[in-house]
Amino acid sequence: MSTSETLHERDIVDPYRLGRAHAALHGGREYATGHGEGGPASKYVIVGYGFWIFLLSDIVMFSAFFAAHAVLQTATAGGPSGRDLFDPSSIALETACLLVSSFTCGLSAVATGARSQLWVQVFLLITGLLGLAFLALEARDFAGMVMQGAGPQRSAFLSSLFAVVGCHGLHVSAGLLWLGTMMAQIFVKGFRPNILRRMLCFNLFWHVLDVIWVALFTIVYLIGEGR
Amino acid sequence: MSDENVERDDIAPGFLDSPDLRDAVQSYVIGFVLASLLTAASFYVLYTHLIWGPGIPVALAVLAVAQIGVHLVFFMHITTAPDNTNNILALAFGVLIVVLIIGGSLWIMHHLNDRLMPMQEMMQMQR
Amino acid sequence: MLGKLSWDAIPWDQPIPLIAGAVVLAIVLAVLAWVVIKGHVPYLWHEWITSVDHKRIGVMYMLLGLVMLVRGFIDALMMRSQQAVAFHAAGYLPPEHFDQVFSAHGTIMIFFAAMPLVIGLMNFVVPLQLGVRDVAFPTLNSTSFWLTATGALLVNISLVIGEFARTGWLAYPPLSETTYLPGVGVDYYLWSLLISGVGTLMTGINFVTTILKIRAPGMSYLRMPVFCWTALASNLLIVAAFPILTATLVMLTLDRYLGFHFFTNEAGGNIMMFINLIWAWGHPEVYILVLPAFGVFSEVISTFSGKPLFGYRSMVAATLFICIVSYMVWLHHFFTMGAGGSVNAVFGISTSIIAVGTGVKIYNWMFTMYGGQIRYTTPMIWSVGFIFTFIIGGMTGVMLAVPPADFQLHNSLFLVAHFHNVIIGGVVFAVMAGLTYWFPKAFGFRLHEGWGQATFWLNFVGFYVTFMPLYIVGLLGMTRRLQHYDVAIWRPWVLAAGVGVVILCFGAVAQVAQLVVSIRRRHELRDETGDPWNGRSLEWSTASPPPAFNFAVLPNVSGEEPYWQIKRRAIQTQQLAAEPDYRPIEMPRNSPTGFISAFFATITGFALIWHIWWMVGVGIAAAYAVFVWFAWRDVEEYVIPAEEVARADRERRRARDAWLEANVRTSAPA
Repeated sequence: MSTSETLHERDIVDPYRLGRAHAALHGGREYATGHGEGGPASKYVIVGYGFWIFLLSDIVMFSAFFAAHAVLQTATAGGPSGRDLFDPSSIALETACLLVSSFTCGLSAVATGARSQLWVQVFLLITGLLGLAFLALEARDFAGMVMQGAGPQRSAFLSSLFAVVGCHGLHVSAGLLWLGTMMAQIFVKGFRPNILRRMLCFNLFWHVLDVIWVALFTIVYLIGEGR
Repeated sequence: MSDENVERDDIAPGFLDSPDLRDAVQSYVIGFVLASLLTAASFYVLYTHLIWGPGIPVALAVLAVAQIGVHLVFFMHITTAPDNTNNILALAFGVLIVVLIIGGSLWIMHHLNDRLMPMQEMMQMQR
Repeated sequence: MLGKLSWDAIPWDQPIPLIAGAVVLAIVLAVLAWVVIKGHVPYLWHEWITSVDHKRIGVMYMLLGLVMLVRGFIDALMMRSQQAVAFHAAGYLPPEHFDQVFSAHGTIMIFFAAMPLVIGLMNFVVPLQLGVRDVAFPTLNSTSFWLTATGALLVNISLVIGEFARTGWLAYPPLSETTYLPGVGVDYYLWSLLISGVGTLMTGINFVTTILKIRAPGMSYLRMPVFCWTALASNLLIVAAFPILTATLVMLTLDRYLGFHFFTNEAGGNIMMFINLIWAWGHPEVYILVLPAFGVFSEVISTFSGKPLFGYRSMVAATLFICIVSYMVWLHHFFTMGAGGSVNAVFGISTSIIAVGTGVKIYNWMFTMYGGQIRYTTPMIWSVGFIFTFIIGGMTGVMLAVPPADFQLHNSLFLVAHFHNVIIGGVVFAVMAGLTYWFPKAFGFRLHEGWGQATFWLNFVGFYVTFMPLYIVGLLGMTRRLQHYDVAIWRPWVLAAGVGVVILCFGAVAQVAQLVVSIRRRHELRDETGDPWNGRSLEWSTASPPPAFNFAVLPNVSGEEPYWQIKRRAIQTQQLAAEPDYRPIEMPRNSPTGFISAFFATITGFALIWHIWWMVGVGIAAAYAVFVWFAWRDVEEYVIPAEEVARADRERRRARDAWLEANVRTSAPA
C-alpha cells in the first residue's frame, strides 16, 4: 500500500463520478446510491425470493417444451391430431380439480397464518386428494391414447404433447410428494420459522402449477383442438 | 403472518400482508370465482360460435393471460405496490425470456420449415 | 442384471484410452491411498467435503476447473498433433476416436473447466465484496458443486468404461439419435450435462438471490463493485438459459430412451428445432462465461492503476445491456441453416449491436488506466493481454455476424479461431488474473511473481502461435474437425498451430511450477495484512484467509469503494477505527447433503447410461431419502461465541496496526 498518492477529496466521496443529481431524489443525502440500502433481508424474504427465481426458471423450462409443441403441432405424420384425440369433458374435469386444489392450498396458507394445525392438515389433505384425482384423470387419458395407437412414439406431435403434459404431471407428482412431507413435518414439528418458510414455497409452487396448467390447456388442448 | 416479514419495503412473493382472516380468505374466494368464470369462458368460446372462427385462438390467449393475472394477484399476492418491485421485476424478466423463446422459436422455425425442400423432391434427388 | 454393462465396455483393443485410463486410475488411487494413510480423511470430510462455506466451495470449484482444464488441454494436444501429422496420411487417431476427442474437448472445456473456474471465482469473491457472511443458500451451494463434480466424473469414466459421444460438443441430431449412434457415448454426454446442469441452475438462483437481497447495510445497487454487477448479470443468464438446455437435452433423451420423435428423421421430427433451442441456450452460455471475466478485469485494472474504475454507471449499463441482448442473437450460430434473408438480417444486426456493450467496457478500462500509476504485476499483465487479444477476437466475431461472410466461414477453422480467441483471451486470461489476484486472500500468501510473468508470456505467445494460423487456414477453406486432410497450402499453418500448442504446454508447466514454488516459499510470500495489492473493495479489509464468518461486524457502507474510504481515513488519522462491539455470530452448519446426493446422482446417472434399471430406482429413492433426512434436521446453525470473534478480529487489527506503525505513523499514536 502506498501513502504518497495525491488525494482528491472527490476520489473519496464520489469515486465513480455518479454526480450529485440524485441528492434531491434521495431526501437531500449527498451521495448517489441507487436503492436497496437496508442491509441483508430477513430469511423469510430471502427464501421466498429465491424460490420465486427458481419458479421463474422452471417456467422458462416449460416454455422450451411449449415452443417445441407449438412448432410440432402439425407434425402428425399421418397419425391422429388433437381434434381426433382430446376429450373436452376430461380436460374440463382436470382443470376444475387443479383450480379447486389451488383454492384449498390458498386456504391452507390462511390456516397457517392463523396457526391452526387442524385446518392446515384438512386443507392440505383436500389439496392432495384433488391433485391425485388430476393425475389419475391424466393417466387415464394417456393410457387411452396409447391404447388407440396414439402414443408418444407415433408422431412428433404426440411426442411433444406427451412431453409437455407429462412434464407438468411430473411436477404435480413431485408436488404431491412434497405435500405429504410438509403435512408430516407440520404435524411433528409445528409452526417453526423454517416450516413457515417451506409452506410459503409450497404455496407458490402449487399456484404456479395451476398457472402452467392454464397455459397448457389453452395452448395444447383448446387451440390444438381447433386445428 | 406479519411477524415473518420484518421489513416494510421488501415483501416476499406469496406473502399476504394482512393479519385479518376475513381479508385473507376473501382474496382467495374472489380469485377462485374469477378464475372459474374465465375457465368456463374459455371452454364456452371454443365449443360455441360466440367468437368468429379465426379469432378463437386470440380470444383463448386473452382469457388465459387474464386468468394468469388473477392467479398472480389473488392467489400469489404479487401486486404493483413498491414493496413488491423486486418480485415484479423478476417476473418481467421471466416473461421477457419466455416471449423471446416461444416467439423467436416460432418465427425462426416457421421460416426454416417454409424453406425446407418438400420430402418428395428430396427423395427424388436421392435416386 | 447389469443392463448393457459387460467387460467389453473397457476398451481393451484401443491402447490410447486404455493406457491413459490406467495412468489416471493409478494416480487417483495413489492420491487416495496417501490421503487415507496420512489420516487426512477426517480433516477433508469436516473442513472441505461437507463444508457449506462459500470460500471453501469456491476453492474446490477452482481445483475441479483447473484439473479439467488440463484434461481438456490434453484432448487439444491430441487434436493438434493428429492434424499436424495427418497430411496425406491417416495419422495416429482412428476417426471414431478422433470424433470422441473433439467432442470431449469441447464438452469438458465449456462445462467442466470454464464454468467451474468462473463460478469458483464468483463463489469466493462475491459475498466478501458484498460485505456479508455467506450466500443465500449455503447447503444448496455445496450441492451445486458436488453435482458439477458428478458430471465431470461421468465424462471421465466414459474414457475407460464405454465410449464418449462422437457428435461434437453439442450433439446435433440425427447423428445423436439411436438410429446412428446407439452406443452409450451420447448417453454419457446427456446424463452428465443434465446432472451438472441442475447444479449450475441452483448456483444461478443462489447468486441472484444473494446479490439482490443480501448486502452489507448501506450498500445500495450503485455502491456494489462491478464484479458483483457482472456476477448478477451472469447468474440472471444462468437462471434464464440453463432451463432451456435441460429441456432440450431431455427431449433428446426421450427420443433415445423412449422412442419419441422430437428430432428424428421420421414421424415428423424436426432436426432444426434442436439446433434452434440448443443455441438459444448456447449463446447466453458464452456470456455467462465472459461477463464475470469482464468483472475480474474491472477489479484488477482499477486496483493496479491506483484509480477508481472509469465510467461506473456506463459499466453497469453496458453489463445489463449485454445481459439482455445476449438473448436476442442466438441465430447467428446457424445462419447457414436456411432461415432466409429476413431472419438472418435481424439476427446479424442484433449480433453487431451487442458488440457495442463490450466496446464501452474496453474504453472504460483504457480510461481507467490512463493517468493512473500502473503496476505491471501478474494480474495486470493478464488484463492488458486480454484487452489486446479480446479486441481481435471481438472483431472477427463482428465479421462472422455478417451473414454472407458467415456463409463462407461457418464451421471453418476461422470460426474455431474466433471462439478460442474470445474464450481464451477473455475467460481463461480472466481466470488466471483472478486466480493470481485473489490467491493471497484465499491462502494467505502470494503466488511467485517471476513464475507468474513466465506463465503469462508462454501462454500469450503460445495462444497467438496456435490460433492466428487457424484464422488463415480457415480463410483458405479448411473445415473444422478434420481427422485428416490433403490440401497442401494448409499444411504450414496447421504445423505452426502444432508448434503453438507445444508452447502452451510449456505455459501449463510454468503454471504448475508457479504453484509449487509459491507453496515451497510461502513464508517469504506471506500476506501479512490481508491487503497485498492496495485494494479498493471490501474483501481486502478481511484477514488472509478470512475467518469463517468473513466480517466480525458487517461493515456500514456509506459510499462507493467502501474499503478505500476506510483505508484513507485510517491513514489520515494514523489510527484504526474504534474496536467494534463484538457479538456472537450464527453460521450455517456443515452438511454432507451435497456430497451424498451427488454420490447417488452419480450412481443414478451411471445406471441410466447402462440401462441398469433397478439401480436407477435405488439411486432416485436414496436421493429423495437424503433430501428428506436433511429437511428434517432440527439445528441448522451453530454459534460462534463473541470471544472467539473478538480474538480473530483483534489478530487482524494487530496486523493492520503494525502496518500503520511501519508505514504511516510519524509520531506516537494518539
